[in-house]
Amino acid sequence: MIPGCLDKLIKKRALAPIISRLVADMDASIIIEDNVGRLLIATDGAEELTRYPVTSAGEVIGWVIGTEKVAVIASILTGMAETEDQKRALVSETLNKYKEITLLYDVVEKVSSCLDTREIARLVIEEARKVIKLTSVSVLLLDKQTDTLKLIGEYGHGDEASYTVSRGVGIAGSVWASGRAEIVNDVHSDPRFVEGAVSISSLICAPLKAKDTVVGLIKLGNDQPVTYTAEDLKLFSTLASLAAVAIENASLYEQLKDAFYMTIYTLAETIEKRDPYTGNHTKRVMEYSLAIGKTLGLSEEDMLRLQLGAVLHDIGKIGIRDNVLLKESALTDEEFKQIKMHPVYGEEIISQISQLKSAVPGVKHHHEKFDGKGYPDGLKGNTIDITARIISVADTFDAMTSTRPYRIGLTLDVAFEELKKYSGSQFDPEVVDAFFASDVMEAYFTSNSRQKIKL
Amino acid sequence: MPKILIVDDEPFIRLLLEQVLEELEDEGVELITADNGETALDIIRREIPELVFLDVMMPKMNGFDVCNAVKNELATKSVYIVLLTAKGQEFDKLKGVEVGADVYMTKPFNPDEVLQKARSVLGL
Repeated sequence: MIPGCLDKLIKKRALAPIISRLVADMDASIIIEDNVGRLLIATDGAEELTRYPVTSAGEVIGWVIGTEKVAVIASILTGMAETEDQKRALVSETLNKYKEITLLYDVVEKVSSCLDTREIARLVIEEARKVIKLTSVSVLLLDKQTDTLKLIGEYGHGDEASYTVSRGVGIAGSVWASGRAEIVNDVHSDPRFVEGAVSISSLICAPLKAKDTVVGLIKLGNDQPVTYTAEDLKLFSTLASLAAVAIENASLYEQLKDAFYMTIYTLAETIEKRDPYTGNHTKRVMEYSLAIGKTLGLSEEDMLRLQLGAVLHDIGKIGIRDNVLLKESALTDEEFKQIKMHPVYGEEIISQISQLKSAVPGVKHHHEKFDGKGYPDGLKGNTIDITARIISVADTFDAMTSTRPYRIGLTLDVAFEELKKYSGSQFDPEVVDAFFASDVMEAYFTSNSRQKIKL
Repeated sequence: MPKILIVDDEPFIRLLLEQVLEELEDEGVELITADNGETALDIIRREIPELVFLDVMMPKMNGFDVCNAVKNELATKSVYIVLLTAKGQEFDKLKGVEVGADVYMTKPFNPDEVLQKARSVLGL
């Protein structure tokens, strides 16, 4: 028992007056001392008579000394001490719960808004470390191709970062198979245990489940033997559920994004099918555009718009009749007027999809000219969206250097000269400069199938 | 002697905060409690504690009014005030700023944060 706790007890605001009253009304001499013999209360004429113990949790914390009249004071003080102890214990327990709750609130908030599986793993590991005694934690996700669980986040694994779990192998593999969380406080006496590089004596393992299928696992352990309780398991399982939902969410989001982009590319390819000489034009224009955008230091958002705009820039050609689109000789004025509609048709098509609205400027204005003499709107200078100004250069360059039904492709040098010649009039000079400074040459050669012929 | 005042109409909350801050008593800090706004204001004016944990929802005089009064009086405006409110009433944070509270904490509070804040304000 802490020395001085009887002292603290009788000095408590609520208890002190009661005790003084009792002692006064006793009308007998009393000495109260603590368990190291310090005098706390003494009345006149006190003689050493019988010592009555004051106890708390089975230990003596002090003495009430006097005739047998004072025994009742010892009992009262013991009763008070017991109540105090119980109160303390309750308060401690509550404070622990408060701590857990506030940390959980915090992690739920952070994890719910997270779409990156590695970040989710990191947050969950951080949280587990705050509330459970452990020396290592690992978060594993199912790799469908190999049917094993692979590590996406860990703490305390040192070099063993390539840890994987196979179905049914080890305690982790067994939890995977059963889909039920487990505590194993002494791993060495568990027949399923497989020794790994990370030292473990006790562990808790919980599956990550999405709609009843196991999509992953979290495992924590201590290299010293500890006794994990049902309480720890509950907390850990809660974290596991949170992680599972968040990871499933992140995964669905990725799949959705992929499906969306695949659809866009497929859409762009429909044009290619109608006009085979276009070949990989769309792909090359996209590569050139992105290379230019990178050199100009465009934001992530703008790079995305640029990519979408570049991929879809000719989608409007679907509205152009074959006899114009696939004509092998020069176009008449009337036919040219029709072709000039393709940026507008493109806008009409893609503006129906809200996720593509930001790509509209690139599609609609890639034939505008820097000096305002382009189409469809005759926009000038910087009022033309940057993505359109870039696609314009990329598109023209590829048009010049590839072979069309009506014209053989130019050489690189000639194409470069043309760009420089029209820099400032047709093209944004900054974009032209960025083009020359970019790694577009690399992109040019990876796009292969060149039909470069010297004029 | 540095003083911390704990104000909450719920005895249990006072108990929790007292136990969290208990170890500071061994370092020479005095813990005082009050169960309503009026008494709290009296104590603050009289004792000028370094730090006050002040519940918002109280009968007679709520925490906002106490804070406002304290922060508008020359003698007491340097008293560090932590406003405590139930989670879910975070829109009150604006009001807290308005009345000059130094910091806002929601209940249930994180005991570690409370102790850390007390140590930091008292320089212990």
